[in-house]
This record gives sequence, C-alpha cells and structure tokens, in this order.
Amino acid sequence: MTCDEFERVLPELEGGHSSEQEEHLRSCSSCSELVSNLNAITDNARLLPEYEPGPQVWNAIETALRQEGLIRQPQLQLVSPASSSPRWRFAWLVPIAAAALFGSGLFLIHRQVDRQFAVKPAVTTASVTTPAEPARNVASSADEEQILAAIAARAPAMRASYESNLRAVEAYIRDAELSAHDNPNDQIAQQYLTNAYEQRAMVYEMAINRAMQ
Amino acid sequence: MTGARKLQSDKLSEAEAIERAKQGDGEAFETLYHLHKRRVYSLCLRMTANTAAAEDLTQEAFLQLFRKIATFRGESAFSTWLHRMAVNVVLMQLRKKGLAVVPLEETIETEEESHKKEPGADDVRLAGSIDRLQLEHAVENLPPGYRAVFLLHDVEGYEHNEIARIVGCSIGNSKSQLHKARMKLRELLKASRAEKATKP
Amino acid sequence: MYRRNEVSALLVVVVLAAVTAGAQTRKEFHFRVHRRASVSIVNQYGPVSVKPSSGKSVLVTAILYSDKAEIDQRHSGSRISIATHLLPGADADSGRVDYEVSVPADASVTLRSATGPLHAEKLHGDVILEGNTATVDVRDLSDGHVHVKTLNGPVTLTNVTDGHVEITSVGGEVSLMSVSGPFVHVNSNSGRIIYDGDFGGGGEYSLMTHTGDIEATAPAYASIDVLASSSQGQVVNDFPLQPVHTSFAARAGSAFAGTMGKAASSVKLLSFSGKIHLKKR
Repeated sequence: MTCDEFERVLPELEGGHSSEQEEHLRSCSSCSELVSNLNAITDNARLLPEYEPGPQVWNAIETALRQEGLIRQPQLQLVSPASSSPRWRFAWLVPIAAAALFGSGLFLIHRQVDRQFAVKPAVTTASVTTPAEPARNVASSADEEQILAAIAARAPAMRASYESNLRAVEAYIRDAELSAHDNPNDQIAQQYLTNAYEQRAMVYEMAINRAMQ
Repeated sequence: MTGARKLQSDKLSEAEAIERAKQGDGEAFETLYHLHKRRVYSLCLRMTANTAAAEDLTQEAFLQLFRKIATFRGESAFSTWLHRMAVNVVLMQLRKKGLAVVPLEETIETEEESHKKEPGADDVRLAGSIDRLQLEHAVENLPPGYRAVFLLHDVEGYEHNEIARIVGCSIGNSKSQLHKARMKLRELLKASRAEKATKP
Repeated sequence: MYRRNEVSALLVVVVLAAVTAGAQTRKEFHFRVHRRASVSIVNQYGPVSVKPSSGKSVLVTAILYSDKAEIDQRHSGSRISIATHLLPGADADSGRVDYEVSVPADASVTLRSATGPLHAEKLHGDVILEGNTATVDVRDLSDGHVHVKTLNGPVTLTNVTDGHVEITSVGGEVSLMSVSGPFVHVNSNSGRIIYDGDFGGGGEYSLMTHTGDIEATAPAYASIDVLASSSQGQVVNDFPLQPVHTSFAARAGSAFAGTMGKAASSVKLLSFSGKIHLKKR
C-alpha cells in the first residue's frame, strides 16, 4: 500500500485499520505521524471548554416567554385562596412596552393602567371560566380580557378587531396543540404550533403597543 | 425571578423542572435554561465564531424548545432533544446567510489540497499535547462547512448518519468533509506552532 | 386683463387653497448619514412611503393634517427615528400624517402603522413593516431581509429577490409575485396566500395557514421538492411529480409530495383546513 492509497481511504477509517493499513503505518513514519496528529485533534476536540452566555440571554428569553403567555405565576401566588382567577399580570407588560418605546412620560400612563387593572381579590368564582377548562386557557382568557379592556379604553373602535384576531389565534393554538399531542414526532405539527404561538405573540405585542399609545 | 442559586439549592431535578415548565412555571424554565445553557451556547459560539450571533441563536434555540415543551414525552433524553434543536437553529442561520453548510456534491479537490507533501518536508511537528487554546483558534478559522461537520462529529459526538440527515448531505460527504476539516486543523496548528517557534 | 368676476373667482380659489393649506402643515427633515443608516418611522394614521435616495442622506417629508399631531424625531449617528405623536383628541382624520422618505438604498428601514398604507421599493437593506390593518406594498427589493407583520392588512410583495422573507399575518391576504430567494416563509391564520413565481434560488419556501387557502402558481420548469398537505381541506396539484419516499404520507387529510427538475428548492404548502392548489402557469 502506498501513502496515496492510504490517504485516500483515511476518511473512511473509524475505529480500526485493516492489516494492510496497519502494516503501512508501521513502515511509514509520515502516515503514522499524520494519523497520530488527527487522533490528537479528535481527542482534544472532546475536551474543549464550554462557555457561559451573558445574563442578557436569559433576560431576553424570559421576556419572550412572558409575552407569549408561556410563563404563568404558580398557584401559591394567588391573592386569595378562594379565588380561582389568576393574579393579573398585565402591569408588568406596561414597563416592558414602555422601555421598548420611550422612557419618560410613561410613568403617568403606568399609574393609570395600574389603577385600571388592579387586582380584584373579591372576584367570585361565578365570573371565572368553568373548572373543566385547562388552566392555560383560563390564564390566556384573563390576559386577553385585560388587553382588550386596555384597547377599549384607548381606541374603542379597535376592540372588536383585536378580539376577533385573538379568537382566531387561540383557535389555531388549540388545533396545533391537539395535532402536536397526537403526533409528537411530527415536525410539521411542531411547526404549526410554533407558528400559532408566533401569531399570538404578534397580536399581543401589537395590542400592547396600541394600548400604550 | 430568583437566581440560579436558589434553584440549585432547591435541587429541582430536570424531570421535575420539565413537568413544572409544562404548567408554565417560570422558575422551572430558568432551571432548564441554566442546566443546558453552556453546551448550547458553546455550540452556537463555535459554529458562528461570533458572540452576538451565538447569543441570538442560543435564545432562539431555547425559545423554540420552551414553546414545544408541552409535547415532550420523554422518548429521548431532554438534552438530546434540546441539542438537536440548537443544531437546527444554527444550521438554519448559516443557510440564511448563504453559507453552504456542506456542499451537496462531493467537493472537488483543489490543486492545493491534492499536492502531495514530500515525507519529512514539514519540519514543525505536532507531536506532544495540543494547545487547546490554539485548537479553539484554529477551529474558528475553519471554513464554515468544515467547521460545522467537525463540531458536530468531534466535539458534539454526532455520528455521520446523523450529521448527513441533519445537514442534508450524504454520509460519504460528511466523512470527506470531516477528514478535510481535520487536515486543515492540522495545517493551522502546525503554522501556529511554527510562528510561535520563530518569535523571539 | 381679467374681468372683475374672474378676479373674484380667482381670489376665492386662492383663499380656499390658503385655508386648506393652513390646516395642513408640511415639514421636512434632512439627515446626513455616514455609513449604513437605520431609519424607523412610527405613524399611527397615514401612508408611509420609502424610496432610495442618491448619496448618503435621509430626507423625510411629512404632511400633518391638523395640529393634533406632532413629529418626534431623533438622530444619533446613522440611526434615525421618526414618530408621530398624537395629542389628546386626535382621531384617524386629525391625527393623520403622510410621510415620504428617501433613504440610501442599503439602509435598514422599519415602518410601523395601524392604518398605513406602507410602501417600500428599490431597497437592498433590511426592511421591517408592521401594520394592523395597513396595506403593505413592497416591490423591487433584493438581498436584504424583509419582515412583515400584519393583523388584517393585505400584503403584496412584488419582485423581491435574493433575500430572506418572513411574513406573519392573521387575517390579511398575502400575495407574493416574483418572490424568490434562500428563505421565504409565510405564517398566516385565515388570510389567503397567493404565490406566483418560480420558487427559484434553491431556497426554502414555506407557506402555512390555519384556515386560509394557498394558491401557488409556478412554471413547468420549476425545480422543486414539494410537500403539500391539508388536514381538512382539498389539495390539488397540476404538476407531474416524481415520487419521493417520505414519512409525511401518514398524516391525516389530503396531501401530495414529489420533485420536479433537480429539486433545487424546498417548497412546503401546508394548511389545517384551507384549500391548497399548486397550479402550472
């Protein structure tokens, strides 16, 4: 076996050499050194260090998860044990939207929104969706109602439009979740779900921006 | 949101965190993030050789994972699932930039690559331990296609059939690209050593 | 020499024009930029149109329809931000501002409006357009990223090539005419998607809806690896496709998959309940 022939089969060699190849390695210092070098590169590749991302990466992820409604407060943080309505979380969206738009002057708007959407501990169970509805839908419905109320306060003519869009998006999410549940390994089902969430995130973002203006 | 220290002291296991994340628990999401952030970020950083791009891709990979976490049934290890997602996100980004991750056809050897080196022509030997910092630097200087296959195989441990499926090439092409990547790294490491040796 | 009546009529016209013009105010802003500019326009009511300029300057011409709207502008280096600030009592008529903007062709442009319309043409930087019900019209763009977000406004892209296109729409119809490039993704809910092009560029094309129909028209020489599926809607294909082995066939509903030519581009036409039609031009 010549060096040329050995180098030609080298890409295919993993985990062992034939006797002919072993014989060539014993007799050829150049090819032997080549194999040794390549093995050293592979061995050290596995030992390369891992790096830490900056804290802003998690901050951005958390913000996005909240905007998409994927993070919900745990039950222990409910205002009243008797209340099955999740604590209103719209207030945190206001400073986020404010920081995204302009800084000063929004303090007054923030206070106004807080007064409008202050937690109401006396919410009765009758006004909340039925126990059979999944917790996520209850949380989403409450968020949506608060967003729509904010829109209605600032641009009444647009409330119906946003409501219609939110209903369409929630229907998509329901269908996509069902499909993903029935077909957990189906990439297309996963993509539908991603698309549906992206649409909801977009509607929320536009609604919040509209409410802030 | 509490820091990672609180989560670690509570010893929230990955399995518990996954179940709680499905219920929308923010701390559970954070736990999962801190458990896997280094591996994902390191992969993104090495694939792109750009800190800002790596951070964006890390964020995107975790967001895609968290959006789909409700569908995770435990058929495979969570880390495998996450890692595969990160790889897809990075490769998608490379494709968007117009960088061929791996050429669809077998690459044609250039004259430079096919030039047979005479035995003993290289005075600088790579014997002894390899400086990992230099290896890291050499990886950064690989062409994107070589770098992707090298990272996936030698650093992340994917098999060629997996790489071929992920990247969209043949197994033979994957092996060929890996070999070329290693040869290129060898060349870069030798050049780096030669440069060091000549410095006063 | 004019007669008295004609002079009176002329005076009335002049006075009326002055009164009308007095209600409208024209403002111009001129910015010099030294490298790739980033221009952002936020305008609740009224059209925004962006075209390329010559040289390294950004020119913004705004027509305000009443004193209920003001223009906030910020300039830092090559970053320019213009926003219409509505005063209390402003509505869609009194708060309307019309913008015409000229930017260097490689500038990054972001336009946001509720009612629009939004228009961008002949640029090759990144373009982001967001509107609630605004009509979005983009034409003759190349090389850059084009991102469009709309709730219900119709979106039309014409002759957009070699770039990265992402469109998200809830109910607005999306029309792509001669759009090609490495990445073309449309995510629609009930809005219809219409594609008329060649799926060229060896790109990845994904047109997906929840309930909206998808109508894609391509030439006989298209080189595509196509997958189309609708769980509850009808799927029609005018092309003779080479079959491919794929696991997707196990999905419920109607579907087809196959390749044409060298299968250079990947094309996915997917809908939950909309009708899908791949037509031959």
